[in-house]
Amino acid sequence: MFGIGGFVAARIQLSLGMPMLISWAIGAVVAGIFALIWGHPTLRLRGPYFSIATIGVGEATRLVCTYWDSFTGGSSGLSLPMQTDLKYTLYWYGLVLAALALCASYALRRSPVGLSLLAIKSDVDAASDVGVSSTRLQDLVLFLSGSTMGLCGGFYASYFSYIEPGDMFGFDRSISWVLMGVIGGIGTIAGPALGAVIFVLLRQYLIASYPQLYLGLYGLLLVMVILFEPLGLTGLFLRVVHRARPDLTVGGPVVEGPSPAGGAPPPAKTGELK
Amino acid sequence: MERFADLLIAAVLLAGLYSTMAYGLGLIYGVLRIVNLNHGGMIMAGAYAGWYLHQALGIDPYLSLLPVAAVSFGVGVLVYRLLVRRLPRGAAGGVQSLLLLFGVWLMVRNAAYLLFTGNDQTLRTSYATRALSVGSALISVNRIAVFGVAVAILIALHLLLTRTYVGKAIRAVAQNADSCTLVGIPVERIYALTFGLGTALAAVAGLLGASLFPFNPTFGASELLKSFVVVVLGGLGSVAGTAVAALILALVEVFAILVIPAYLTAAVGFVLLVLVLVVRPGGLFGQRVLASSCDSRPRSGRVRRSGSWSPARSWPSARSSTTTSTSTTFSRSPSSGSPRR
Repeated sequence: MFGIGGFVAARIQLSLGMPMLISWAIGAVVAGIFALIWGHPTLRLRGPYFSIATIGVGEATRLVCTYWDSFTGGSSGLSLPMQTDLKYTLYWYGLVLAALALCASYALRRSPVGLSLLAIKSDVDAASDVGVSSTRLQDLVLFLSGSTMGLCGGFYASYFSYIEPGDMFGFDRSISWVLMGVIGGIGTIAGPALGAVIFVLLRQYLIASYPQLYLGLYGLLLVMVILFEPLGLTGLFLRVVHRARPDLTVGGPVVEGPSPAGGAPPPAKTGELK
Repeated sequence: MERFADLLIAAVLLAGLYSTMAYGLGLIYGVLRIVNLNHGGMIMAGAYAGWYLHQALGIDPYLSLLPVAAVSFGVGVLVYRLLVRRLPRGAAGGVQSLLLLFGVWLMVRNAAYLLFTGNDQTLRTSYATRALSVGSALISVNRIAVFGVAVAILIALHLLLTRTYVGKAIRAVAQNADSCTLVGIPVERIYALTFGLGTALAAVAGLLGASLFPFNPTFGASELLKSFVVVVLGGLGSVAGTAVAALILALVEVFAILVIPAYLTAAVGFVLLVLVLVVRPGGLFGQRVLASSCDSRPRSGRVRRSGSWSPARSWPSARSSTTTSTSTTFSRSPSSGSPRR
């Protein structure tokens, strides 16, 4: 989705000369539709196979887009015209976007749609018994996440002024987002933001200091996080909070794994801490 | 017409390799319900192991098959004991197992970069350039050997799963792990063994692949994806199912070369997969990789073909499901079993 959004946005700017924000929006919508087209059939697969299918779709898209060089410029990619002061303005745009994303996900969490989504996450069949339409909601989620990534793709294209299919659609880039989520805490709101900050800082440090160990350290980090604190940093934080103030019921991610409250039933939504 | 026969033979030979690759993945998923993302890493490790043994010690790759398989079996068991065993079982473990094994893959890849550099390597033996003429087609000796080894492995696997106690135990655990403890089968040991076996199969497939294609530390990624396509297409049910699905994939890939440029052939597998999912959501053989709306209710036993096992504890055949595309998400609570500890 990232790649699709990026390339659509870049193409629109190059060929049609539209302003940046509009091209991002169009890129986002196209990416969302793309996610829907590919995601809908693969929803039929069970959990882990669904992930692998999405990996496969990414790879296939990469191959096709590298080949389709009238659109994406092939392996040479697309270059957008540089403007002075662009990075500075884009920094603020990026900050606004990030804030919007966080607010949107918080609002979604609180809304009835959000509750339905949580229900699906816990037990699809029970949710559908109660009348939650899982197919439609999953499509909604696909479209939302696809278009958000598309927006980011457009932003990235404008920011770096150069994109190419091998990188934009690449597996390494895709997995870096998963890593950000894992490090920060999957299923939480602040988690991915936190994870992203840490991930980028860590990556710059690793590339500078130990470039040859970069992959291995990531792998090790991933393994450690999964083994010891599957909820990442947010999980650690929640654990500390529970230890310090066991009376406080914390709204957190609905988890099936080891509960941070030590065997207590999943925390009720009486208070949202994050 | 000659071209057709050429392509057909090429597809059949390739199918042997694909079925070996897919079987390792399918076995681990069928028994442990874990998708082994390290499959790609082990394929690459097997390739490098064979290459290194050939470079440094001059051992012919087909001779080093058994040692490489044995060592990777050990590695698999080790990975299981150290890491995979600590994952929560059931649905909660789904995402985590993916990420964990992906982390392991990253580490293996890094080790390969450190040890062997990122350059492409090839495994060239003295007979690699020879070709046999079968009818009108000219086939390289390597491909025939790979096919032969793959067929031998599949036959051995079939025999293992049907005739030996261990094989039956594996099938039993795949059907219902809790009942196995009641009957006295050491479930944890079977898990470790299966993981080791799946890893060994991956390494062997990598070794075979190394004799056919050039490779570098990123080798194994597209092979993993192809194995996955084969498994979904029909490989979980039996050795025969894997073989047929591998054949289908190989045929589609090889004949697609007639229509699309060569390097897009990897994408062909995915298009095939999605098409099959749209047209026949049960996969080609009504496999249990897919979700159905009835899968939270336990079913009584079905009659199984000998030599096949059902990885589904309580999943009815998807053919009988009249669902729309209901599907599970990662953190579905385990419906019919207690955590497997």
